[in-house]
Amino acid sequence: RQLREAEEAAPVFQYAGKAARRKDRVFVWGFSYSGALGIPSFVRPDAGWKKPRRIQPTPYRLETEEKISSAACGYGFTLLASNTRDITKVWGMGLNKDSQLGFQRSRRDQTKSYEYVLEPSPIPLPLEKPQQTRVLQVSCGRAHSLVLTDSEGVFTMGNNSYGQCGRKVVEDEIYSGSHLIHQLKEFDSRVVQVVCGQDHSLFRTKKGTIYACGWGADGQTGLGHYNITSVPTKLHGDIAGVNIIQVSSSGDCCLAVSDEGDVFGWGNSEYLQLASVTETTQVNVPRHLPFKIGKIKEAACGGTGNVVLTEEGNVFVWGYGILGKGPNLTETAVPEMIPPSLFGWSAFSPDIRVAHVRCGLSQFAALTNRGELFVWGKNLRGCLGTGRMEDQYFPWRVTVPGEVVDVACGVDHMVSMVRSF
Amino acid sequence: GGGGAVDLVATRVPVLADHPLVRGPRVRKLKIGAGHRLDVKASGVFVLGIGHGNKLLTELYNCHLTKVYTVGGLFGKATDDFSDTGNLVEKTTFDHITREKLERILAVIQGTNQKALLMYSNIDMKTQEAYELAVKGLIRPMAKSPPIITAVRCLQFALPEFQLEIHCLHETQQYLRKMVHEIGLELKSSAVCTQVRRIRDGVFTVDDALPRTQWNLQSIQKAIWNCQLKVETELEKTL
Repeated sequence: RQLREAEEAAPVFQYAGKAARRKDRVFVWGFSYSGALGIPSFVRPDAGWKKPRRIQPTPYRLETEEKISSAACGYGFTLLASNTRDITKVWGMGLNKDSQLGFQRSRRDQTKSYEYVLEPSPIPLPLEKPQQTRVLQVSCGRAHSLVLTDSEGVFTMGNNSYGQCGRKVVEDEIYSGSHLIHQLKEFDSRVVQVVCGQDHSLFRTKKGTIYACGWGADGQTGLGHYNITSVPTKLHGDIAGVNIIQVSSSGDCCLAVSDEGDVFGWGNSEYLQLASVTETTQVNVPRHLPFKIGKIKEAACGGTGNVVLTEEGNVFVWGYGILGKGPNLTETAVPEMIPPSLFGWSAFSPDIRVAHVRCGLSQFAALTNRGELFVWGKNLRGCLGTGRMEDQYFPWRVTVPGEVVDVACGVDHMVSMVRSF
Repeated sequence: GGGGAVDLVATRVPVLADHPLVRGPRVRKLKIGAGHRLDVKASGVFVLGIGHGNKLLTELYNCHLTKVYTVGGLFGKATDDFSDTGNLVEKTTFDHITREKLERILAVIQGTNQKALLMYSNIDMKTQEAYELAVKGLIRPMAKSPPIITAVRCLQFALPEFQLEIHCLHETQQYLRKMVHEIGLELKSSAVCTQVRRIRDGVFTVDDALPRTQWNLQSIQKAIWNCQLKVETELEKTL
């Protein structure tokens, strides 16, 4: 009885109240020496006992001041954007040799810009109304970046040797340390999605049309020729008059999804990405891909392989490389389904569905409706985040302490936006 | 002087050493072996093998089949041995816990254990057969491994009590109690385990099990007869 009385009299601790909110966090993993992970102590250790960490094989938390709503990974650099009305809306880290992160004034020499940015540093955008405009989305290519705002169009910066920034190509232009950020406003309606391929840019407007500019030698601009385009031009072909709801590109091939569930492709087809409609290796006009796999909800384009997500929640892959169906399937021109049991579906939990698919250059990522992240593909410098350095031939769960909301895949690193429990 | 001649009369006296009242009832020695351990505070299915059944027990052990437990927990308390009969360590509030938060934590537990399942099964991930087994969900560690949980489900949730159904491999009951404690910590509160009951051990379920009232020869014979077929098919499937 004394024990019971002692128990009743014990103090009650409160660790979390009823109003405890779930916090949004950013996790990064992959190759860190380019600074793309945004953690300076991996590259330049700040304490004597720390060693430089070349590769971060598992998700590592990145502390940010603001809540990050959109992230994009390029080739050795990362952009983070927040939906805030403050003056600083976009941060960048990683390679800056072509000013893809804008002008980062060096502390040593006020006229020079940093070539490697190791920490998320604010990117000054020349906004007319900096305290009202919001940044909706960012996208990164090989050496250029695009920032989409809600009322001031699209801002582009970085390398423009193929016109991918949407302005005229200047011969012998020096991109390193350049202050130039170009603004693009002339589209038929408001731009709602920007996508960067390797050296080209795609813009999707509210009306469902697509504009493209940049390098076109593989037909990735889809304008009917194989030349460079330096001004965003509207695409026709099979998508003329079709309301496109999503567009995706990562290498030299592009995919677009219409509101009726059809998928259109153009660009490089050397890896059988478009082999279902043509035998040629380059397609420079958007073509409808006649797949009989159901209504398509989302598509993602990788360097050599493509992945689509249907309305029922099934994932189909095709192309070349590690496609996710074991080491025996290396190339296919027709989409093959990945069995849902690999994403955690079982008789015990039958309501697990894949909600989003994303593509890096040679990796694939899938997000389920329970907030789990599955990755597969080539494990270049630890970018898969599995903790191992070997390639992954079928979808593998990544252990992230939280519910994964979105993920951005680059060549050798990945960034994910996670909500804590 | 000598007395008279004493007549020796032979009489027969029974040897008491063989009498049942002295010796006790005649029993036949039987070898009985026990299956997976069940500790004092837990209850449920406990598999025993008799005679030839002991060899089957070792073979069943090598099959590495999953066991299913119903685990009852209570939020708000933390004790030193993770069950409700231990010494109190801490009391916490728990009114911020909802069923949704609990199910999220359970999903994470399943996820990490899924990875452990694949890792400890010692199959080379790069082969096609590893992919085929993963698709069918048949990858299992076939050797000694740390406790792995293959599935968790919340059966009942009524603050402060809750009940989970856990499918696991190579576990101990104390590990399950510790898991309840860790779930409490993850939900920023604390929890103790009130009940651990094994409802399935490989092929044997609660329906096949004999309660205390039926521990007699006829019921045991009938039960062995019923389970024979199940055990044989399972052994053939795996080995």
